[in-house]
Amino acid sequence: MDTVETAVTTASRKAPDTLSRRDRRLGKLLLAPALAYIFLLVALPFLLALFLSLTNSSAGSLEFSFVGLQNFKNVAASPVFLRALRNTFIFTLVSQVLVIFLGNILARALLKQFRGKLLVRFLVLMPWAAPISLATLGWLWIFDSTFSVINWGLKVVGWLGPGQWYYWLGDPTLGMVAIITVHVWRLLPFSTVILLAGLTSIPSEVHEAADLDGAGPFAKAFQITLPMMLPILTVALLFGVVFTFTDMNVVYLLTRGGPYNSTHVLASLAYQEGVLGGDVGRGAAVAIFLVPLLVVMAVFMLRVSRRSEVT
Amino acid sequence: MDTRRQFILKSGKLVAAGVAAAAAGPTVFTRGAGAADRTLKILQWSHFVPSYDKWFDPFAKDWGAKHGIEVTVDHVGFADVVPRATAEVAAQSGHDIHMFIGLASAFEEHVIDLKDVVGTLDKKYGKQVDLAYRSTYNPITKKQYAVSDMWVPDPGNYHKRIWTEIGQPNGPVTYEDLVKAAPEIKKKNPQMQIPIGVGLSQDIDSNMAVRNMLWCHGGSIQDKDSNVVLNSPETLAALDYAKRLYSVGMTQAVLSWNAASNNQAFNAQETSYILNSISAYRTAQDNNLPVLENYFFVPALKGPTGIMLASEHVMSGYVVWKFSKSQDTAKEFLVALIDASRDSMLASKLYNFPSFYGAAADPGTPMSKKFESGAAWISKQCNNDPFGSKPADKLALLAKSIPWSTNLGYPGYANPAEGEIFDTYVITDMFAKAATGALSPKDAMTEASNRTKEIFTKWRKKGMVAGGSKDR
Repeated sequence: MDTVETAVTTASRKAPDTLSRRDRRLGKLLLAPALAYIFLLVALPFLLALFLSLTNSSAGSLEFSFVGLQNFKNVAASPVFLRALRNTFIFTLVSQVLVIFLGNILARALLKQFRGKLLVRFLVLMPWAAPISLATLGWLWIFDSTFSVINWGLKVVGWLGPGQWYYWLGDPTLGMVAIITVHVWRLLPFSTVILLAGLTSIPSEVHEAADLDGAGPFAKAFQITLPMMLPILTVALLFGVVFTFTDMNVVYLLTRGGPYNSTHVLASLAYQEGVLGGDVGRGAAVAIFLVPLLVVMAVFMLRVSRRSEVT
Repeated sequence: MDTRRQFILKSGKLVAAGVAAAAAGPTVFTRGAGAADRTLKILQWSHFVPSYDKWFDPFAKDWGAKHGIEVTVDHVGFADVVPRATAEVAAQSGHDIHMFIGLASAFEEHVIDLKDVVGTLDKKYGKQVDLAYRSTYNPITKKQYAVSDMWVPDPGNYHKRIWTEIGQPNGPVTYEDLVKAAPEIKKKNPQMQIPIGVGLSQDIDSNMAVRNMLWCHGGSIQDKDSNVVLNSPETLAALDYAKRLYSVGMTQAVLSWNAASNNQAFNAQETSYILNSISAYRTAQDNNLPVLENYFFVPALKGPTGIMLASEHVMSGYVVWKFSKSQDTAKEFLVALIDASRDSMLASKLYNFPSFYGAAADPGTPMSKKFESGAAWISKQCNNDPFGSKPADKLALLAKSIPWSTNLGYPGYANPAEGEIFDTYVITDMFAKAATGALSPKDAMTEASNRTKEIFTKWRKKGMVAGGSKDR
């Protein structure tokens, strides 16, 4: 009897341990594919880029020698790089402000009930679903320097007089406007959906209580909605910033960095120098130039997001 | 594991294929009988004249079938040729043959020496045209890193009615003609957006157009010994010219053009002069566009120095990767492709010009006469365009395009430094900045010259480019 009791007691003591160990093992197993993915497709290429940026590696060769920080010194002295660096910040800042602002408007509109809401939702999501290369080709025609439909439209309504024309992709400023427009168009659905989720997650009782307390629309927006949305807003912003900092598709497909390398962002310049030009070391140096800044920014934003979590 | 019966069957097939290959024609390359050698993977651009691809793919497959080889042809857009090569070199796998439409020189280290292929072709057809040789051979390393089967002339395309209106029915002859004509064209055709359409953007056509301007004003990136000589009064003269031309005849549209833009602008009659091969003209023909009756050509324009030069529009450069396991098969295919130079030229609707003129010679022509015979056949096609030009001799000037055509790298050889400068648009940006006033011509030249020297120095350190002692 004693033996049986002891056995039962031991088993009951051991059972939770085994279960938690099993949980831990299962946890590791479930995490492994994600970790492997991150290691193989993010960490390894990143480490390789870091390594290549310290070499004189070129596209047509597997041999190289270490040049220290020479590539970074060379690119930092290049006016094209400095312009691309400036453009990257402008591109990211302006597009993110617009995306968050317009995303908010759209999300609030989609909270309301109206006829055709499903169709509007579908249309809002369209840019997110369309392949970027295909969509940009459409935009390429919209902004074409000779055949731009915007220009033809403006001409028809009398905005543009004889001899007046907007060279969307042939002017450095208009080129950046075109690039930012397409990027905003592209990111807007994601931002809208995230913000919509954030808005719907705020319990209606909170707003009702505020109404009873006599809070006005501004007080509700800044003292209830914004603080409660901050975690999700930060995630949307973080994603948008990192995505925009590292994106080259829109620039490359619209202007290829032109005219005279004036609309490059760091990612497109890295492609031009490293892949097209074959100077892999220099291209890698351009590509990873902003990594320290992005890491600091990501850590900061994630901390803000964690602190503002509603418990 | 194979059974004895399977082994015998396989061996029999290999022997039969070998006999068939030997019977199909004499070859200088000894092909192994390994499994890899029974396949041949070719990476080819998507030709600007689509009918060429319709010829090339079955040609390659048929050649393979005759020789017991499974041939695969993959096409990529012209802009993906270099990125694809970079990826394949990095992976050390991919296709056996890679076709470049510009310079393959940067990849020299990873391709096999094709001296024997060129030697065979020299013996069969005589020497290749000089610009093809200079685009595929490195005199420093003495390596024939590529073989060219064709090149494409780059004439001026002009709108006959418009140029007739201003008293030049035969189009411009000199660069100065463009500057003089532009205001008159604008006056008589106010609806025309870009009187003169010389590209100054980050694209392939602009890259050639600005080199033409540079060379015809006596300047160049390098001298014949690969010294960097961009910093020169001649370059400054070319930039001053570009500034004048831009102010009277062009708009910001030319700063944004891609490879198709000048074709589209000319075909829409929004410009009166562009620099392009005949692909835009064939598009106008295929679609029977209104511009067709006024679509005419002129040779390269003459600069103030009297120099009259245009860069080749496309220079094919076939390389065989070192990692290829079908190197001998690849060499045989390249010889066969050049054997078919007449078919190639016709399939491309006279877009491709043979790099070995002798390969277009009449059968049975003695070696000493092969070049002339090939040239005569080419002239015959151009003088009486089999693809319906009106008048039939509209393309006649192309038959005489060798004297005014040259290679990238003129007056020297093409090399990886010239290739990198081409692919990163150093010269187009210099012209664009000077023309638009973004920088003064002198500052634009200094900036481009510094970058050029940086690139040359890097390649010299790798032992692939000569010169340096007389850099300016």
